[in-house]
Order: sequence, then C-alpha cells, then structure tokens
Amino acid sequence: MKYLKLKKLLSTSVAALAVGSMTATMAFAAPKPIQIGLIAPISGIYARPGTVMKMGAELGIIDVNAAGGISCLDGAPFELVMIDSGDSVEKAANAAQRMVADYPDLIAATGSYLSSFTLAVTEITERAGLPVLTLSYSDLLTSREFKNVFQTSATSGAQAEIALPIIMDLAEAQTGIRPKTVAIITDNTAASLSSVKRMKDGLLADVGLELVFEEVFTPPLADATSLVQSVRQRRPDLLFYLPTVISDSKLILEKMKEFNVKVPVVSFGIAIAEPEVLNTMDAELLDGVMSAVANWGSKGQEDLIARLKETYGEPWMTQNAISTYGDMWLLKAALEKTCSRDPIVLGETLRTTNFGPSKYYPGGTLSFDKTGRREGASLTIIQWQNGVPVTVFPDNLAVAKPIWPGAK
Amino acid sequence: MLKEIIKSLLPFFMLAALYIVLAMFVTNSYYQLIMTLVIIWAVFGLSWNMLSGYTGLISFGHASFFGLGAFATVLAQVNWGISPWIMLFVSGLIGAASGLLIGMPTFRLRGHYFALSMLAYPIALLYIFQWLGYPELSIPRVLDNPAAYMQFSDGRVYTVIAMILLFVVVVISRIVEKTRFGMALVAIKQNESAAEAAGINTLAWKLKAIALSGAIAGMAGSLYSVVILVITPGSVFGMLTSAQALTVSMFGGAGTLWGPIIGAVFLIPIAETLHAELGNILPGIQGVVYGAAIILLITLAPEGIYWKIRDWLKKPSDEKDAPQENADITIVPESLEYTKRPMPTGDIVLSVKNMSKSFGGLKAVQDVSFDVTRGMILGIIGPNGAGKTTLFNLLNGFQTPSGGEVLVDGVNMVNQKPHVMCRAGIGRTFQIMRPFKRMTIHNNVKVGAYVTAKTEAEAEEIAADALQQVGLSSISEKLAGGLSTKDLRLMELARALAGKPHILLLDETLAGLGSSESKEVVAVIRKLSEGGVTVVIIEHTMQAMVALVDRFLVLDHGEVITEGPPEIVTRDPRVIEAYLGKKWVTDAKN
Repeated sequence: MKYLKLKKLLSTSVAALAVGSMTATMAFAAPKPIQIGLIAPISGIYARPGTVMKMGAELGIIDVNAAGGISCLDGAPFELVMIDSGDSVEKAANAAQRMVADYPDLIAATGSYLSSFTLAVTEITERAGLPVLTLSYSDLLTSREFKNVFQTSATSGAQAEIALPIIMDLAEAQTGIRPKTVAIITDNTAASLSSVKRMKDGLLADVGLELVFEEVFTPPLADATSLVQSVRQRRPDLLFYLPTVISDSKLILEKMKEFNVKVPVVSFGIAIAEPEVLNTMDAELLDGVMSAVANWGSKGQEDLIARLKETYGEPWMTQNAISTYGDMWLLKAALEKTCSRDPIVLGETLRTTNFGPSKYYPGGTLSFDKTGRREGASLTIIQWQNGVPVTVFPDNLAVAKPIWPGAK
Repeated sequence: MLKEIIKSLLPFFMLAALYIVLAMFVTNSYYQLIMTLVIIWAVFGLSWNMLSGYTGLISFGHASFFGLGAFATVLAQVNWGISPWIMLFVSGLIGAASGLLIGMPTFRLRGHYFALSMLAYPIALLYIFQWLGYPELSIPRVLDNPAAYMQFSDGRVYTVIAMILLFVVVVISRIVEKTRFGMALVAIKQNESAAEAAGINTLAWKLKAIALSGAIAGMAGSLYSVVILVITPGSVFGMLTSAQALTVSMFGGAGTLWGPIIGAVFLIPIAETLHAELGNILPGIQGVVYGAAIILLITLAPEGIYWKIRDWLKKPSDEKDAPQENADITIVPESLEYTKRPMPTGDIVLSVKNMSKSFGGLKAVQDVSFDVTRGMILGIIGPNGAGKTTLFNLLNGFQTPSGGEVLVDGVNMVNQKPHVMCRAGIGRTFQIMRPFKRMTIHNNVKVGAYVTAKTEAEAEEIAADALQQVGLSSISEKLAGGLSTKDLRLMELARALAGKPHILLLDETLAGLGSSESKEVVAVIRKLSEGGVTVVIIEHTMQAMVALVDRFLVLDHGEVITEGPPEIVTRDPRVIEAYLGKKWVTDAKN
C-alpha cells in the first residue's frame, strides 16, 4: 500500500515536472508578441481610409513575422492592436486616452489618417512617451517640439512646394500655355489648411499663379452648387481642390460636370482617388484628375499590390496601405537595433538613427530630423487614367506618363 | 444659516470623500479621466440647473459658456502663456459676462421661444471659432514646472481639483436654494406672472441666475480643456455638449443640486465605459445611452430620478396628513349674514382716471374712472367679457393701457411693471390660480414676503403671519400642488398679503367655490378689510358680493354702467339688463 502510494506520488511529480518543462520550452519557443497600435478611423465618414490602413498594417505584420519577427528579441512577432479613432477629433483624443491606458505594453503606434485626428492623438501619446509614426500631412504635427512623433510623409507645405512647379511645368509642356489663375476649394481639416497656408504664403506667387477664389468648408459637404457656380464665374485656369472625405471629392466633380465647368482639377490628398469614388461616378468623368499625395502604390511594388488585391479585393494601393505597410518594416528595423521592449528607447533610436534609403515612402531616407520629419521626404503625383489612379511622378516610381487634362 | 447649509450637505461631503478615496485606487489613466469627467459634467449640469433647473427656462445653449471657458483657457496659454490656474477664474468671469450679454436680449422670450433662441448661440459660436481658424486647439505641454500650468502626470490630481470645484459649486447652489435668490427663481419657474405680481423683479433675478450659471459653466469648460488636452469648436460648442448638461440634470432631476450629480454619476461612466468597450463595434454607443436614458426618463420619471425617489419616500407621510386637513380650518366665520357697515370715508388711495385699452378694434376697457377710499371694499362686477380682468391687468402693470392714469396715493403709476406696482403696495391674486406647486404653502407665501422683508428671518415671520391671517397655519408645510380650490384661494390671498399691500386686487377669488366655502373666504376678506387693507374685488356672481362689499362698480362692454352701494346697484335696471337681458328687467320690477 505504502509503496503504491509512493509510486503514484512519484509518477505524478514526474508528470508535473514534464508538463512544467514543456510549458517552459513552449514559452521559449513563442516569445511574447510585440504590440503595435494602429489608431485610425474605422467608423464614421473616415472609416474607409482607416480600414485600408489596417490592411496595410496586417500585410506588414504578416511579412515582418514571416521574416522571423524581431530576431534580437527571440524572434518576437508583431501583434496589431486596432483602436478606432472614430470620426471626430474628440473621439480620436478619447481613443488615444484609452489606447495608452488599456495597452501599457504597446511599443509604438501608427495613425491616424486625418491630420486633425493625429494632432489630437499625439497630444496624448507624447505625454505617455509612446512613439507614433504618422502618414498625416499637416506641418503642425511636427511644429510642436514633440519628441515622439515621426512624420513619414512630406508635410503639406513641403508637398505643395514640390508639386506646384511640377504641375505648372506639365501644363505648359503639354498645352503651351502656363496657367495664370487658380481657385482653391478646401475643407477645414489640418492637413488641407496647412497646404493652403503654404500656397498663400508665397508659393502661388513663386510659380506665378494668382488666387481668384477661395472657399473653406467643413466636411462633409451637403451641396457643392454654390462652390461650383463661383468657380464658373471666376473662370480660373486651374482648380486646387483639397477634400479629405470621399463623398466631398465626388460631389464637386459631379457638380462640375452638371454645370459643364471644364477647369483642370488638381487635388491634394487621397480622398479623390479612393476606389469608392467609382461607385457613383463615371471613370470618364474622373479621367485626367490629378492629385498630389504623400505616397502611392508604385513601380517596384507590383507584388504587394497584387497581394492587396487578392487578400482584400482592393483594386489599387493607396497611401494608407503602403505607408502603414512601410511603418511595420521601419519599426522592425528600429527594434532590431534597440533590442528592447521599452518605447522610450525606441523613440530615442528613431530620432537618432538613419536606417538607410526609403523603400516604402517616396524619396529620402529612413531617418528623421529633430522635429520628427522624415529627411528628404518627397511625394507622388497620381492621375486618373482609364479608371485607375496611377502614379505619374516621380519618374522612378511612375507607372504611366502624365497627361494634362486640357491637352487632349 | 451657514451651519444649516453645511448640515444639509453632509451626505454630499461624505459621498465626495468616498469618491475621492475610490479615485485614489484607480490606476488606469483612462478610468482616472472618466472619474474626473464625471465631476466636470456634474459641475456643468449644476450650471445648467442654476438657470434652467430653478427658473424652468430650458436652455439648449449652455455650451456657449462652456466653450468660451474652454477656448479662453487654451488660447490664453497658447498665445500669452497664461496658466490655466488663472484662466479657471477668468473663464468664470467670461462665462458670467457672456451670460449677461446673452440673457439681456433672450429673456424677452419665454418658453419654447427662449429654449430655441438659446440654441442659436453655441451654433453661432461654433462657426465663429471655425472661421477664426481654430479647427482644433490643444493645451501646450509645459516641461518646466508643469504644476504651475495645471499639468500633472497623475490623472488623480485632476479628479481632486474637479472635486474642489464641484464642492464650491454645490455650496453655492445650496446657498442659492436656501435664500431669496433660489425662492425667486423657483417662483419664476412655477409661474412667472405670479412671481412678478408677488413683487419679484423677474428680469433682474433671471440675469443674476444666467450670470452665475455662465460663470460655473465657463469654469467647467476651462477645467475640461485642461484634462481633455484637445478641444475643437464641435467638442465644446456642439449640440451634444449642451445636451450633456441637459441630460445629466434632467435625468437626475432638475431644480435640485442633487439632480445633476446623480445624473452625471449614473450616465457618464455607463456611456464612457460602453464607448470604451464597444465603441469600435458599435460606434456612437454613447449617444444611444443618452437617448435610452431620456426615453426611460420621460416614461418612468419625467421630473428626474431625484424627484421620483423623493415623491416615493414622501407619499406615506402625506397620506397620514390627509385626515387632519379638514380639522385644520381655524377661521370660523363670525357672521355670514350681510351686516351693513358705515361707508369708510378716508382719503383716496387709488384713483383710476379715463383708463382705456383696445385690442385692435376691440375696446376692452373704455374710459373707466373710479376712486377707492382707504379701507373700503370695492366690488367690480359685470358679466363675462365685461373687461374686469383686463382692468386689473392695467392697474397692476401686466398690460399697458392705451390711455389713462393710475394714481396710487396721488402718484401716477401707469405703465409700471408688476413687481414695481407690488412694491408700491398693490397686491393681487389671479382668476386662474397660480400656485408654485412644488413649494410648500409656507414657501409660496414666503416668496411674497421678500418684497418687504430684509432678512430670511423676517420673511419667515411675515409668511407665518400672513398664513395666520387667512387661517392656513396648520397646513403650511403641505405642498401647494395638492390643495383644494378654497385653500389655494386662501394661499394666494396670503401670498398677496405677505407683500404688505395697502390695496389688494382680488380677481374672482370666489369663483369655483361652493356657498359655504365662499362664505369662509368672504369672512377672511372682511377681516382683512377690518385690519385696514383696502380691497378691490372682481366677481361676476353677485350673491356673495352683496354681503361683502361697500360699493359696486358695474362694467359692461368695457364701460362703467353704474356705481354705488349694493342695495341700489342690485336694483338698477341697467345692471339687471347687463346680466340677464332686457326681458328680466321688467320681471325684476315686479
């Protein structure tokens, strides 16, 4: 009896030991994932771009993990933490509060499409010491002496500076006439206002454009009739249009068609090149419309674009997908250097290290100046051609030649 | 007084201390934020309550004050580096000033018109701030000595700061509730005309209320901007912000300082937690919570949780009181029979000269003149539509005459506001009774006493005295809402008496009373007259009046048809004709 009991006890202990060591090995085999936050709108009027950011992040995480995760952290994989920033600044700020409170293990975050949201979100993440990569444009984002905001896109002001001369040259080269007058219709979000501010602060004068009409509206727009009527009366050579909501971008083009206003439209931002635009609009109507965007699926990314189409059914790759995808690789590079799960250390590294030429953002390098702007960041100019917005600038990324809308 | 206030707030102090202790155990920064927001919304709710809860003038526009406070605080720090510690108080001043600016034009409107006009201000401000180029603003981060700029890395500090603000606001609210300020506001809520007639300068009190309310809202907005870091015109001037104040107050119960606190404690955590947990699956869940809360509220407790619970707790004791009511009549009519007394022959205290009023083509009152001597009871009679009530409204300022004079003790008082007339010694009651239903009989009467009373104690004394005179002392702590018509008439009489009038204008005080009740009221009026008060009473039935008045003035179609002692007037063929038609004149003669 006694012997039996002892045997039973022994065997139980052995089993327990075995289980214990197995758990230990398993823990060794699967290190704790590294949490990356994506704080972007996936509800409300900005849900579409936020959803596309999520696609980019997911693809990026799959690829980073497939490449072995962070090797110096025992191959720890990335794990996406999705936080809905909602459709208003206050919701975004609230979401950021929740993010830093509920996910103390986050090492970094990326977000939040609209500059206005990113401004609010980073007020909170900065105080919490969490590094944030952002594809948002507004110059204000990196004018606040924050240490942990890293702007991968060229700022609105910088984009306008790069884009305007190219647009002017293109018009002159293909029509023989250099445009002289411009009308600006913009929404009042931070990125759009930053662009317009830079234009009015001398940029228009530098390229020889006279501003004949300007209107600022609060998105979403209910009716574009009066805006388009005004454009028709002023007869500008060019129309700069800066929407951030897809429905706004459609509305103005539809009205222009209705009123038969044939002014070449140059947009800033991606709202005018989202696939949804085609749901209610003729591809023909869009043909020739150009937009200056910080990033776009371009030459050399064909495989990635194909995977996006295959996995999510996205017909083309917008900035939101490609930039967020690139963010994951940038974070991997930085973590491989720090070998630390401390966000403070990561922030320090991002501020001080050059990770070489940029593969997923146009132009420049994977390094940030002391304000947090990516050094040498350029942009892409896209154009609707045959029902698809394609990259037409810069040449090394372009998949098609630009065509001036009036030149046909 | 202060002791009493502190004593009445003991439960609040205990709960507040408990709340702070609880808050100290919260480590999640988001829940720390919510704990602070609960208090800020409670403060904002109390601000709304200060105006709308007490006066009943529903404001859909409290976001104006809140937003101005928030923007002032952030802009002052962004542009001039002024600390929110200073701006918290400056925002209070800004809120008060904007309250006055908004109140002055808007108080001309009443009811729905007032509510809708208030809605316009935050909407206008929202667009103005957008147009000024502030789509969003954030509090600049200060690294050197952040505490001097109200910046703390520990969210619990904000909870304590907010609680101190709430503490101050609660004490202020209670002081207002307990003094003539609050009484005046509640009187305005229950019945603005009656309040005016009781000598309350309603516009002045309403302006004080909106200034105080604006100040509190401005401070709430200021603190909000500090804890929330980022503000937009939409977040502080938006419709939802005004609605937040309204929802927490209405949910908890408007008109009491407990209401907004109960509302905020219930609604904000539920809405925020749901938003935090389900926000990405069910966007806008917060709005659903507020919507559901309002629906539940309207169906189950239209006046709010606080009042529902209070009524529920009070009910049993009220029932106990009920049987005593009949035993409470202390005035036993001395004589119900008509006893002619000598016609008073004092000096003329009220003289009406050529009073006229037309509404378009209708001449409601035409060229009416009469004199009232001190101590007399003048009965103004006439059939329905004769212009009796209009005449009263002209006498005490509710309507502006088209022509004529009202001499009170020889001074022309025509076109004066009702509360001024009241102060000049003219008290009145209304044909349609206008009790302050949620107040006790005693407090109803006390409102009237503020006209002459300098202190609370004096007001108490005057009210008790007036109740004594009409015989309602024993039921003085009952709510006016449940009284019989006779008691209401007597209460109104007492309220008018509390203003210590020389002249009482009684508008159909006997209407709707049975004959025995009517005799009781007549006895009271006669007693008052014997005490030296001059009475002018309107009535369209003559029976009870004959036993009461010294003199009749008969109106028909807005004109005086005759005047004289009762025994002569009642036999005057013109009077009979006016009442009964020509046919009866001949019958009456026989």
